[in-house]
Formats: sequence, structure tokens, C-alpha cells
Amino acid sequence: MEIGIGHYLILAGLLFSIGFVGVLRRKNLLMLFFATEVMLNAVNVAFTAIGNYYGDLSGQMFAFFVIAVAASEVAVGLGLLIVLYKKYGSLDLETISSMKG
Amino acid sequence: MSHILSALVFFPALAGILGFVVDKKSAKAYGIAVAAVEFLLSIWLWISFDGSNAGMQFTEYVPIIAQFGISYNLGVDGISLFIVIMATMITLLGIILLREDTPNMKNMIVSLLFLEMTMVGVFVSLDAIVFYLFWELSLVPMLYIIGAWGGPTRVYAAVKFFLYTFAGSLIMLVGLLAMAYLYNLEAGVWSFNILDWYKLQLTADQQFWLFLAFFAGFAIKVPMFPFHTWLPHAHGQAPTIGSVILAAVLLKMGTYGFVRFSLPILPDASVDFTPFIMVLSLIMVVYTAMVAFAQKDMKQVIAYSSVSHMGIIMIGVFAMNAEGLGGSIFLMLSHGIVSGALFMLVGVIYERRGTKLMSEFGGLAATMPIYATVFGVMLMASVGLPLTIGFVGEFLVLLGFYKVSVIGTIIAGSTIIIGSIYMLALFKKSFFGPVTNEKNFGLKDLDARELTALLPLVAIVVWLGVYPKPVLEPIDNSVKKLLVQMEEHAQFPSTKDAIIISKKEAE
Amino acid sequence: MESLVYVALFAPFVGSMFAGLFFGNAPRNAITGWVASTLLFVSFLASVALAVHVVHHGSVHVTMMDWISAGDLSIPFGFLVDEVSVTMMVVVTLVSTVVHIYSTGYMDHDKSYNRFFSYLSAFVFSMLILVMSDNFAGLFIGWEGVGVCSWLLVGFWYHKADRPFEENPSISPSWAANEAFIMNRVADLGMLVGIFLIYWNIGSLQYDVVFAAMPNLADGILVAIAIALFIGAMGKSAQFPLHTWLTDAMEGPTPVSALIHAATMVTAGVFLVIRANPLFSLEAVSGVSLFIAALGTFVAFYAASMALIARDIKRIVALSTLSQLGYMFAAAGLGAYWIALFHLAAHAFFKALLFLGAGNVMHAMDDELDIFKMGGLKKAMMGSYIYMGIASVALAGLPIFAGFYSKDAIIETAFNEGTYIIWGILVITAGMTAFYSFRQVFFSFHGEKRYEALGFHPHDMYKYVLVAMAPLAILAISFGWFMDDFKAFITKNLPAYEMSHHTHHWAWLLGLIVVIIAVAGIVIAYKKYAGKGANAWKRDEEFEASFIYKLLENQYYVPKFYDEFLVKPYTIASEKFWAIDKAVVDGSVDLIAKAFYKSGDVSRGMQNGNLSSYLNWMGAGALLLVVAAALATAIG
Repeated sequence: MEIGIGHYLILAGLLFSIGFVGVLRRKNLLMLFFATEVMLNAVNVAFTAIGNYYGDLSGQMFAFFVIAVAASEVAVGLGLLIVLYKKYGSLDLETISSMKG
Repeated sequence: MSHILSALVFFPALAGILGFVVDKKSAKAYGIAVAAVEFLLSIWLWISFDGSNAGMQFTEYVPIIAQFGISYNLGVDGISLFIVIMATMITLLGIILLREDTPNMKNMIVSLLFLEMTMVGVFVSLDAIVFYLFWELSLVPMLYIIGAWGGPTRVYAAVKFFLYTFAGSLIMLVGLLAMAYLYNLEAGVWSFNILDWYKLQLTADQQFWLFLAFFAGFAIKVPMFPFHTWLPHAHGQAPTIGSVILAAVLLKMGTYGFVRFSLPILPDASVDFTPFIMVLSLIMVVYTAMVAFAQKDMKQVIAYSSVSHMGIIMIGVFAMNAEGLGGSIFLMLSHGIVSGALFMLVGVIYERRGTKLMSEFGGLAATMPIYATVFGVMLMASVGLPLTIGFVGEFLVLLGFYKVSVIGTIIAGSTIIIGSIYMLALFKKSFFGPVTNEKNFGLKDLDARELTALLPLVAIVVWLGVYPKPVLEPIDNSVKKLLVQMEEHAQFPSTKDAIIISKKEAE
Repeated sequence: MESLVYVALFAPFVGSMFAGLFFGNAPRNAITGWVASTLLFVSFLASVALAVHVVHHGSVHVTMMDWISAGDLSIPFGFLVDEVSVTMMVVVTLVSTVVHIYSTGYMDHDKSYNRFFSYLSAFVFSMLILVMSDNFAGLFIGWEGVGVCSWLLVGFWYHKADRPFEENPSISPSWAANEAFIMNRVADLGMLVGIFLIYWNIGSLQYDVVFAAMPNLADGILVAIAIALFIGAMGKSAQFPLHTWLTDAMEGPTPVSALIHAATMVTAGVFLVIRANPLFSLEAVSGVSLFIAALGTFVAFYAASMALIARDIKRIVALSTLSQLGYMFAAAGLGAYWIALFHLAAHAFFKALLFLGAGNVMHAMDDELDIFKMGGLKKAMMGSYIYMGIASVALAGLPIFAGFYSKDAIIETAFNEGTYIIWGILVITAGMTAFYSFRQVFFSFHGEKRYEALGFHPHDMYKYVLVAMAPLAILAISFGWFMDDFKAFITKNLPAYEMSHHTHHWAWLLGLIVVIIAVAGIVIAYKKYAGKGANAWKRDEEFEASFIYKLLENQYYVPKFYDEFLVKPYTIASEKFWAIDKAVVDGSVDLIAKAFYKSGDVSRGMQNGNLSSYLNWMGAGALLLVVAAALATAIG
């Protein structure tokens, strides 16, 4: 069985869904970060697969962009998380929510 | 002087800005001085006005955004001239009537002067955008006057007044923009000039929707039934000066809008909508007059009676003949003067007793004879007694509307009955009978300040009741021109039939 | 002659303004009364001079200035002095002059003396506008003007408190004034509609143009105009069912009742019908005219029946006024316009005299109105007794006196027209009239001195006032003698109604019947009420408890009916409408505002500060968008 574009997209879809559910369900900020990373990478998979399918390099190029942006985001984000942890002693969303409408 | 209109519009505003640096104690004197100059300017306008010329006069034209045809475009004709004069006069008299111990007098004066700018601006603008700007700006000082100097629930009343009328005006704005867009489609250039729009031919469908859009803005302002409920709240809470200007001038913006926009731009739709307007107006006349009868508070009686009389003005506007339309313009003036004076009078007694409830009074005619007399004159003008200003307009409106609907005229004519019922009931409860409340003994009669504000109005009530010609003639000329324009502009034969310029022609 | 017209018209106006100068809390100033009276006398002289002029040179027509002109409508202030209006002018100014002089005595002690004269002269001015105007709009000015003056004068003693209906059927002066004004306004609406009809069908409101154009109009329109104008006339002349205000208007000072509610204003309706005789005598509106005659006859009888048992001296006179107005309408409706006008003038003289006499009695009795409490006043008030006697004889229609000629002519007209029912009722009413007017005279001036027990000390009016009343008394006696001259004069303008040969033949018998019935009425009244000692009148409790008595005493329950079925429902409906206005109309606006507010309040829960729930909302939103997009694609 040859692995085709369909398989890649299913994989990307599954990964994205896992990440999506993670974003919605997890209560720990760190875990939320992981979940978003999973979603980003699901998109990366899709990008590269579709790029390959069309024989167009821009797909893979975009994946690199995403990786770079994600990396910098994680760098900033983790820094913020550490500050938050220092301040609240927890990364649980329930405990650190302070704005109420 | 070719820029007299600009001077009229912006003088009070500039003076208002300067007013911030005026000494607190002389604020009222300053206000009177500015309003007097403004009033004299408007009188000068009348003197230099050519009564036989039915078209726009003293026009000024400065393009603002040429690409979109938005321009600073002013002009007056017989229809707007007298409303402007009335606005400046009522402002002057209102400021004279202000008590010396009004809190924050300086702010009050500045608000009033800004209000005066917007009022004059609305009536002299010939560009839809400039008109709209003044229209909306007029809300701000009024909001402030009600909200800052009003009664106990002033904030509710002010917000209601603002939001209600604002919501209507936004729909009107959409209509104005659509109008310009349609003009662009037709003519290929943008124009917000009302006089250009008069020439635009629109389909029945377009007219229908545009009429509704304009209706939203104007009807709430008038205020027509069932959009009238902001008015009793606003009047109930507003200080005397606020009520006077609101009733005398701001409401007229609505009916003026119908005359300036709906009728000439959308003649076919106006004729088609006449039954609809008639039904609403008749309900307004009878229903609010009955509600007025049920009121316990003097000021609310006058407020509801205002709505009732605006109903008569509305049917006059849609009578589609020179008698009815001319009569309704005249009635706008007379209603402005009479209801303005009545609100002033209620304010006078409120200052003395701190209450407006009729049950608190009784027998005032004995303790305050001059006050009772002035009130009586205004009452008689309000119920449309011949030889007072109230009769001329009411008579012409009913006469004109007779051509549209006989039954409608009889129902509307019942205003002379139910109008006298609530006014006479008010007069009896407050002024007749024995003096039962001790607090009413020894009330001071009108003093010099109050007489200065009220006697000119009494004089006008009698003067224009006996000899309305100087005012009625320019109005009549412009109204005839407007009707001719409407008829030329109208597309359907049925519309042309409905518009009667001169009876000889109709035969 | 023009200047005379203006003198006649504006002299009362100047008098009113002059008296108005002393307004407010200014103390009583005798000058106001005398200036106003003098100016009215001037007006009277001018009217007489104009009458002489009209006799010799025909009518005078002046146009002062434009009033309203808009569209095709053009209304001037124009005044027409012709036979009809000059007759009215002379009558109005003569009665007014007498009443003014009378008032200087009658109102002597009133603290609002100056105000009174200001109003009274203003009334005369309005009345003169009404009769002199040359167009319907000008007529309407006067029409409303007299209405307002009547309002001011009926409510002159505004400081009196309301009393329940059972105690005082007219509640209070201010209540009666409002009732009169509002009820008249109902009729005025009819009149306005008539004016609109005339304008849109003829294009002018000038009498001459309108009446010239009348014959060319469609029958339906003519009938509509006639009905509308007559509705207007019904209000001012207090015809059924708009009659209740007239008896209540007796709350006003007695000179006012004499001038406005007997001699002048209430005859305005009759004047209108006479003025519009070219319309009402058209074949097309004969139905309306017959209705006017029938209604007039009905009112004549109806009012007379109530007067039979009334106890209030002023109410009796007011009801007799109502009854006589009915006679006038009967004549006008039957086409005998000049007879109606003749009766109008004669009635003005003797009825004003009667009222002023009644005023003297009230003055003497400290404003007591109940005739049951009077009696035997003859000695104390000889002058008033003679005047009241003359007026009552004239009213009863005994030969030689004015009422005989005019009333007999009306009754004869009914016979002549073959309307025998009307004739019969009018004859019976003539008998009733004689009975109730003498009942009142005998009650107050003859019999036992019932007032003594109640502690009254009656005294007659000032001498000069009694002298001033003399012209009315003379005319009440002699006016009828000039019937033929009057006819010759007035028929230049009005249709010369002639009795047929047949009627002429029987005229003596018809007159005799009326006189016999009238004398019978007087004799019965004398027997019942004039006796002394053993024959003295006693209250008949049994009769007072009977249904008929109750019916008459309560004015056929008409005021009650109005109260129950018009006033109360209107008040309740107003209250209900107000409640609806607050709850429904305003409520729905507030509901919109509240809906926005509420939706904000509810959706505020989303902003709980929890990132996780935000992300949930974001996800739901995204999903919703996807679904919406998918649906949109699917639907196409």
C-alpha cells in the first residue's frame, strides 16, 4: 500500500483534532502550550504533504516559517509561564484567572 | 451682507466658546446679550428677505468634499425663515426667564448657545450631510441640559431621549446615504445637495423604502404615535428652559424634515403613505389628548397636548394642498410659541411651589391674577380661539385636510373639543375654586423677569392671530412653489391628482 | 357711514380695554363701569344712526383689512350692515347698554367690579363681530369670541367650590363655565365642517358669493351644509341635546344671564339660520328646515315642562329662554324668517327685563334663588314687581304686549304651513309659558311673606338702576305695535312671509285660542300660588314624590345621562389610555432597551477570566462558522 496524500491529511487532521481537544479540555497552561504545538505541527504536516503533492516548494517553506514562529513563540511563552508560576505557584487556569466580566 | 446665514449659525457657537471665559456672575447677562444679537440678526434676515421670492435666498455654497458632493450649503425660504426666527426668539426669552440662582449658570448658557447653533443650522442647511450633522449635534446640548439640570430621574429621561431619537436618525442617515448613491447611479456624480435631489426620479419601490428610512428619523422626532413616549419623560424631567426649547423648536425639526425631505423628494411615496400617516396622526390627536386629560401633573398635560397638536401639524403636512401645508407651517410657529409659553408658565409656578401637581393648586386665579391671565391667553391660543395665533394654523390645516378625508377632518377636528376639555380641566383644577392649600396664599405674582419673557409671547399670540399676513404670505409663496415642484416631479398621475396647488387648476 | 360702522363696533372694545387697565387686584373703580356704559351707549347711538341710514340708503359694506389668506383662501375682516344685522346691532347694543348700567348697581359690592366690565364689554364686541361680519369665518370669530366671554362670565365667581350634583345641579360656576364652553365646542365643530364644505364647493366664504352660488350646488352638498351649520346653531342656541349648559350657565352673575343667556348670545343660532336663509329656504333642504322647526317646537315644549316645577328663580327664566328659542327656530324652520327675527328682538327686550327683575329679587334676598323661600315681596319692591309683571305679561303673550304679536305670528305660521302638530304643541306651550311665568311672579311677589321667618330684609334696587330698566319695559310693552313697520323694513332683505288668505280669515280665532289658554294658565297660577292665609300655597309632598315631578326636577335625567354615559366613560378611557401608554407603548420601547441590557448581562458570563473557557467559546465559534460556511455552500 502506497502512502498517499490522503493518509497524510488524515494524520494531520487527527493530530489537529488531538491538539484542538487538548486546547479546549486541558486546564494546565503548559499542557495548553503542548496542545497548540501539536496543532501547529499538524498543520505543518499538511503543508508539506500538500506541497509535495503539488510539487510546489512553498508548502514546505511555509512549514519552516511555522516552525520558526512556533519556536520563538514557545520561547516567549515559556518565559511568561515561568513568571506566572513564580507569581501564582501554579499553572492551573482555574486558579490564575483574575478577570471577570 | 452675503454671509448672514453663516453668521446666524456660527455666531452663537463662537460666543458660546468665548462664554467659557466669562465671569460666572455675568454669565446670564452675557447669554442675553448674545441671544439678543442673534435674534436681531434673524430679524434682519427677515427684513432683507424678499417675500415675493418663493425660492431659496441668501444661499451660500462652499464645497467640503468635492468628490462626494458634500458641501457647506445654506439657504432659507419662506418655510424655514420663520422657524429660524422663532428659534432665536425662544432662546432669547428662555435665557431671560432663567433664574439668577440656576446652578452652573455658565455651563447652561454655553449649552444653550450651542443648541441655538444646531437649531438654526438644521433649518438653514441645504446639504443633507450638513443637515444631518446639525440634526445629531442638537441632541448633545439637550442631553446635557436634561441630564444636568433635570428632575429626579433625569438621567433615565436624558438617555432615553438621546438613544431613541438617535436610533431613528441613524436609519435616516442610511436613507440619506442611499439617496446619494441612487443620485450617483442616475446622474453619474455624487451630490448631497437637497435641491439636486428634488429633481431625481425614483421608482416606486425606491421611494417606498427611502420614505420609511426618512420616516424613522422624522417620526421619532415629531414625535408621532407610537414613538412619542420619550417626550413625556423628557418634558417631565427637563428644566423649564429645556422643555421650552424642546417643545418649541426641536420637535419642529421632525415636521420640517417631512416638509423639506419626504414631500418634495419622494412625492409619490408621500401620497401613497398619506393614509398611513393620517391614521397615525389621528390616533395621536385623539389618544394623546385623552391621555393628557388623565394627567395629574400640569407639565405632563402640556407635554401630551404638545403631541396632540403635532398630530394636527402632521395631517396638515400631508394634506397636499397650499391651505393645509401652509397652515401646518404656520401651526409649527404657533405651537412653538404657545407651548413654549405654557412650559414657561408651568416653570413659573414650579419655581414658587416646587411642585407641578394640579391637586396642590386651586384658586390660583385669586392669588396670582396676572399669571392667571397670561395662562388664560395661552390656553385660549392652545385651544385654537379665533384672533389668537392658534386658530389660523389649525383652521387652515383642517380646511386643507378636508380635501383629503372628510372623516379624518372630523376626527382631527375633535381636537377643538377634547383640546378644550383637558386645558379647561387643567385651568379649573389649578386656577379656579377656593384656595384650599395654605401654601398658595400670598404667592407672588409674575415679576419683571417673568413678564419680560412672557409678554412678548402674548403680544405675538395676539398680533399673528389678528394679522397673520406678514408671516403667512412668504410661507404661502414657498409652499406653493414646493407643491408645484412636487407635482412636476411626481411620476404617477394619481400623485399629480392628489396634489392641489390651486383649486382652479384642479377643476 | 364707514366710520359709524367702526364706532359701533369698536366702542365696546375700547370700553373693555379701558376696564382691563384696572385689572388685577386693583380696587373697585366706579369709572370703569361708567366709561364702559357710556361707550356702549355711543355704540347704540351709532347703531341707530346706521339703522336710519339703512332704511334710507340701503346696506353698508366695509372691508377693514385682510385676515387669513393662504392658497386660494382669502378671508378679510369685512363688515356688512344690512337690515338683518342692523336690527341685531340695535337690539344687542340697546340691551347691553341697559345691562351695563344695571350692572354698575348690581355689581356694586363685588371686588372684581373692573374685571366684570372688561368681560362684559368684550362680550358685546364679540357679539357685534358675530352679527356684522360679512363672511362665515368672521362669523366664526364672533361665534367663538362670545363663547369665551360666556366662559369668563359664567365662571366669573370662579372662587366658589364644587358642590355635588344633588345639592347644586350646576356644581359650581367654574364647572358650569367649562361645560358651556365644551358643549359649544361640540357644535362649533359642526360649524367648522360647514365652513369647509362651503369653501371647497364654492371657493369663498363671503355671504354674497356663497348665497349666489348656492342654487347651483348638488342637493346632497346643500343638505350637508345646512345640517353642519345647524349643528353649530344648536350649540349656541342650546337646542336639544346640547341644551344642558344653558340652565347651568345661570351660575354667572344675573346681568350676564340677562345679556348673554337670554337676550343676545343664545339667539346667535337663530341669527345664523336667519342669515343663511337663502340656503335654508332652498327646496333641496326643506327636510332640514322642517327638522329645525320640529326640533324647535319640541324644545319649546320640553323646556316649558321643566319650568313648570322649577324652584330656582333663574332656572325658570333660563328654561323660558330655552322655550322661546324653540319658538324662534320653529318660525325660522317654517320659512318665516322675519317673524323669527321679530320674536328674537321682542324676546330680547322682555326677557332681559325679566332677568334683571329676577336679579333685583336676588339682590334683595341676598342671592337666595329658591322661590319657595320668597313671597309677598310686592310691598318691598314695587318697581321690580311692576317690571317683572310687564315682562311676564309680554312673555305670556297677552294682547297689546310685545310677546303677543311675535308669538302669535309664529303660532299662526305653524297653522298656515299646515303643520298642525307643531301648531298644537306651540299653543299648549303658550299656556304653559303663561302658567310658569306667573307662577314665578306670584311666588315671589304675592302670597305669604315666607322670607320673614328666614330672616331676610329685602330692599329694592337703586333708583337709577330701575330708571335705566325703563327702556326695556317700554319696548316690552310697545315693540309689537311696530310689527308692520318692521316687516316693511326687514323684508327688503328677508323673504316676505305672508299668511295665506285662509289663515288670515281665521287669524282672530287662532289669536283668541292662544289668549284664552294663556289667561287660563295665569288664572291657575293665581289660584294656586297667590293666595294668603287659608288659601296660601302649601308644599305638596305627595306630588313632589311622584315620578313626573322627579323626572322634571332631574331635567329628564339628561345631565345624569351625560354624566354616566359621556363624562365617566371618557374619564375612565383616558385613565386606561394613560395606563396603556405607560405599560404598552412606552413599555415596548423599554422592552427593547431592556432586551439589550439583559442580553449583555447574560453574555457577560462568558467573560469569566478563564482562558480555558475562552478557548472553548472560540472553538464553538469557529465550529459555528465552519458549519455556517458548509451550509452556505450546500445551499448554494
